[in-house]
Amino acid sequence: MSTVARLFNPIVRISPFIMMALLVMPVMGGLIGVMLPAFGWIPALDQTSLSLNGFSQLWQTPGIGHMALLSIGTSFVSTFLAFLITILILASYFTSPWLGYIQRLLGPILVIPHAAAAIAIGFLITPSGMISRLVSPWLSGWNAPPDWLYPHDAMGLSIILGLTLKELPFLLLMALGVLAQPDLGQTLRAQHKVALSLGYCPITAFFKVVLPSLYPHLRLPILAVMAYASASVEIPLILGPNNPPTLAVAIMQWFHDVDLSLRIKASAGAILQIQLTLFVLACWWLLEGLVCQFAKSMLTNGRRDYGGAIIQKITHVITALMMTIIGLALVGMLLWSFAGFWHFPDTLPQQVVMLHWQTALQQMHTPLIDTVLIALCATALAISLTLLTLEAEQHSGKSLSLLGSVLIYLPLLIPSIAFLFGLVWLLEQVNSQHTFTNVVLAHLLFVLPYVFLSLASSYRRLDPRFSIVAASLGATKAKIFFRIKLPMLIGPIFIACALGLAISFSQYLPTLLTGGGRINTITTEAVALANGGSRRISAVYALMQMILPALGFLLAWLLPKMITKMLIKRHQQG
Amino acid sequence: MRFAKWMLFSKTPKPKVHIIAITALIISVCACLWTGEADAKTTGSATWSDIEARGINQDVYFHAWGGDPQINRYIQWVAKQVKQQYQINLHHVKLTDTSEAVSRVLAEKSAGNNTQGQVDLVWINGENFAAMAKHQLLAPNWVAQLPNFSLTDPDNNPAMTRDFGVPTQGMEAPWGKAALTFYYDSLATQSPPQTLQQLSEWVKQHPGRFTYPKPPDFLATSFLKYALIVLNNAQPEAIKNRLYQPATAQSQALLLPVLWQYLDELHPYLWRKGRHFMSSGMELRRLIGDGELALAFTFSAAEIPAAVARFELPDSSRSYRMQDGSLSNVHFIAIPYNAAHANSAKLLVNFLLSPQAQAKKQQPSVWGDISVLATSKLTAEQQAWFNPSAQSHPSATIANQAISPALSEPDPSWSKVIAKLWLQRYGVMQ
Amino acid sequence: MQTFASTAKSSSTTTASVLTIDGLILRRQQQDLLSLSATIRGGEILTIMGPSGSGKSTLLNWLTGMLPAGFSAEGQLHLNGQNITTTASHLRHIGLLYQDPLLFPHLSVAGNIGFAMPPSPKAQRQTAISEALTQVGLGGLEQRNPQSLSGGQQARVALLRVLLSQPKAILLDEPFSKLDSQLRQEIRQLVFDQIRQHQLPAIMVTHDQTDADAAQGQVISL
Repeated sequence: MSTVARLFNPIVRISPFIMMALLVMPVMGGLIGVMLPAFGWIPALDQTSLSLNGFSQLWQTPGIGHMALLSIGTSFVSTFLAFLITILILASYFTSPWLGYIQRLLGPILVIPHAAAAIAIGFLITPSGMISRLVSPWLSGWNAPPDWLYPHDAMGLSIILGLTLKELPFLLLMALGVLAQPDLGQTLRAQHKVALSLGYCPITAFFKVVLPSLYPHLRLPILAVMAYASASVEIPLILGPNNPPTLAVAIMQWFHDVDLSLRIKASAGAILQIQLTLFVLACWWLLEGLVCQFAKSMLTNGRRDYGGAIIQKITHVITALMMTIIGLALVGMLLWSFAGFWHFPDTLPQQVVMLHWQTALQQMHTPLIDTVLIALCATALAISLTLLTLEAEQHSGKSLSLLGSVLIYLPLLIPSIAFLFGLVWLLEQVNSQHTFTNVVLAHLLFVLPYVFLSLASSYRRLDPRFSIVAASLGATKAKIFFRIKLPMLIGPIFIACALGLAISFSQYLPTLLTGGGRINTITTEAVALANGGSRRISAVYALMQMILPALGFLLAWLLPKMITKMLIKRHQQG
Repeated sequence: MRFAKWMLFSKTPKPKVHIIAITALIISVCACLWTGEADAKTTGSATWSDIEARGINQDVYFHAWGGDPQINRYIQWVAKQVKQQYQINLHHVKLTDTSEAVSRVLAEKSAGNNTQGQVDLVWINGENFAAMAKHQLLAPNWVAQLPNFSLTDPDNNPAMTRDFGVPTQGMEAPWGKAALTFYYDSLATQSPPQTLQQLSEWVKQHPGRFTYPKPPDFLATSFLKYALIVLNNAQPEAIKNRLYQPATAQSQALLLPVLWQYLDELHPYLWRKGRHFMSSGMELRRLIGDGELALAFTFSAAEIPAAVARFELPDSSRSYRMQDGSLSNVHFIAIPYNAAHANSAKLLVNFLLSPQAQAKKQQPSVWGDISVLATSKLTAEQQAWFNPSAQSHPSATIANQAISPALSEPDPSWSKVIAKLWLQRYGVMQ
Repeated sequence: MQTFASTAKSSSTTTASVLTIDGLILRRQQQDLLSLSATIRGGEILTIMGPSGSGKSTLLNWLTGMLPAGFSAEGQLHLNGQNITTTASHLRHIGLLYQDPLLFPHLSVAGNIGFAMPPSPKAQRQTAISEALTQVGLGGLEQRNPQSLSGGQQARVALLRVLLSQPKAILLDEPFSKLDSQLRQEIRQLVFDQIRQHQLPAIMVTHDQTDADAAQGQVISL
């Protein structure tokens, strides 16, 4: 047995533990690193006695109630809207080919980083943005930009818009993913047909027959979306008010303040943030229960039509509106990135120049390289660990325990602002000077769950008989893994790679904090420039943020085909 | 010393001994001074070449505000030069706010990291300098070691060794000079306000076309300090001078009310009716470019023609200084006490103080930041480098530049006080 | 023979029901798939037999108004004198019975059947459901979870569900192929009896010759 084969089995055996350790320890360590200061324990400031000082400072912060309300309100409303629009789209287009078109149109939006989406929306709704220009001066009579308060409005409507438009594709694609599963999807579609044949209009059929079975599969994505929205930093930073901001943004500002004693308040704030997130999740769970109760009696009352035709028309309008908003936002960004002078009511810039792209690309060298390197490292690690863990599942014969499955998604469920600062403190204590490694580790925390989610079903569904046949032909487990399983999974592996890269590209807070400002990625640069002096350069960076993951997916689509062709050719010749 | 005392104060008769003793004393003192000077010279020059020897071929992490692409490009040019001259790799760590670097060094000090600090150099002035000095975060007394520092003529230019009035004690080297400059879109307004009083009338005629950022942004506190100084002009000297001393409850009560009164009248006519103030002063420029604002201000006057060249400000932009005064200051570079590459940092600062670098920096097309070098210390050839190059955009000419009096910065404590009280009054929307 | 007391208005049992397929030509991307013309009277069962790919399912899709993209059709469909060629799927009143019972898992047995019934007072519906279940030998199973029933039981519930929705015609898509031979006969007899009892025109697609024989109707082989 070669060295690889000899080492393979032990490595596979310990892989799940390594993966769990890499996921759980930073998060737990980070939480502890935040909880201790929250109760007053900061040796750096010579405070080693526990107290509730931090919390009392927190309550006394002016506007703390408003901050909390803003966080709760924006996350709940945006998730609710995203969910509502998702099921309306599913209901209206369930039997129509439009579902496929919408899926293909919205798919790319999924991988746009939150920061880029926020910048695009911000540019759209600002008084001198595309919407305003399109209606001026012929409709609105404006010759100078109006003095309205979008973005940065106090109620957080801009934040809600940004979050909804970003979360909607995710929920929709999750639902479509469930529907694409052969057994469940076909059953649901057949049941929908049955309901139609029983006289139910398509929309009612969807709500009464498909949704009850579909919803449990959507519950976890919805909760994950809501948890993220309640603690998001990029979108409220770029689109939200600053007097006061959302709680997450305020916590970040307190942590960064020169006055170190604010760290206690910031840590207390992080604890509050966790409670807020739990509160919002509990509210949703309550709402779910209420709707279930209320709807139970409605399910079998025999009513076939609840104004389905009108609902369908409304959904058409909403879908068209959404596509228009997204399209306009992108067009606006493109125009801004190539714009010369662009006086207000003009819809198009007066000159088209390449200057901004040239300048930005010159500035971007290092951040671009760093972005790509970090993404590649984090993704490579994630893919390796995932594959080895899934392989371990098959070696041991039992799948990951429930606890294990939940732990994988731990970094996604706990607000990152709550544990990242603690993680940074932990790394400082360990005196880890290798910033690059720190950043890769932080990115790994967020890439791993998505990569696992993406690969797990394909890996587990691989027909076990291939391995059995190969084993009977005398192949070691290592050989089966490398020569049979991996090549068969090349497509899903590349897609998981592209997903991992996209997730890493879009990370803001992890890079900013663990990198200590020394590592700049395209995303951190984009956020720094978002509210800066140059709209044009900002547009270039935001577009760059969109191009990178798109390239990743393009490669993920092309490379497997090329590799398979190559392998087949080699096999034919050899 | 004790011998001299004994010599001078003891009452025991000392016949010719004291003449010999005094002569010996004088000789020894002279000897000390001579060797001392020699030591200084030898230690001085040995020290500098030591520094050079130890500083070449290293990485230097320069933490500087990165919000202006022009400044960033200048720093890239500097990086190329020091790479050629000293094989130093200059890394520009772009900060959104200088306080980030301050908190980083503070955190390192708390963690006991006294020799491997991540911050080698920090671009700093004002209250950030005061904060770092107070926490003893800066390397002391190194500026005099730099050969090029003498070109700033510090003995005749007290501004080179005082930061917002606080003595620098050799902890920071001057880098450039700046003054508050206003600019406007001449298509939106033909007669911009020339004084603070005119400003409050102008906003009434042009509601929603002017604003200032939210403290503690540097530009925000600068505007408020300018207003504070000008609004208190009528006060007696004794009271006005309190501005240049640390703020006390008493001086605050004497000087601040007139500022709040002015702002209360101003806010309803500001952009967004004063309900929202942007977090970063850089946004002012963007809003003028968008057409939302007609009037704004900056510390870096040369960024305006540069922005016009980049299409970010309209062609009709023009700049000027307020006739009742422009807040002026010198900005500095400091080395933290625990910098990992202190020697390379010193080499870098020395280069930044060189006539070559200062002349390049002063060119409006590069940065436009005024040089800190004294003309008298430069050769004629070097002086020629500082002559303005071909005239660029009309906004490069700053109206009122000659007549606008320079207002010195108040004591650093005032920035903090103004920011804190402003946030209390206007920070959270009611 | 067993009759169900239909508590709601029953129209299809009294008037003459007839399903007419008039000059149907099904095409898959410009290529002809099948052509068919047939008239089925109430109580009659038209059997369609053919190998896979011959267009049997496409025919059913066209009949229910759910022709997928890539297929085109020519011809008319009449039901009880009305032209329903372009009527929306859910307004055609054509019942469907698949090979899988496809009972809704989130509703109980009674819920599944109640779902199919037209809107009526709750008490009335509950009585009708209980009676119908008793009459097919499933009395007392109202609150059971459909997944907990056996294959035969589920097939009977599915049948009840279709019948109590008062369809005007009924389509059977290989409805007995998942049942073992003993159950098959029993259920088949039940389904055909009900079809004849309710005088519903029926079209059945099947592989099995014995199904065709038991249908005792016209047989078309594709």
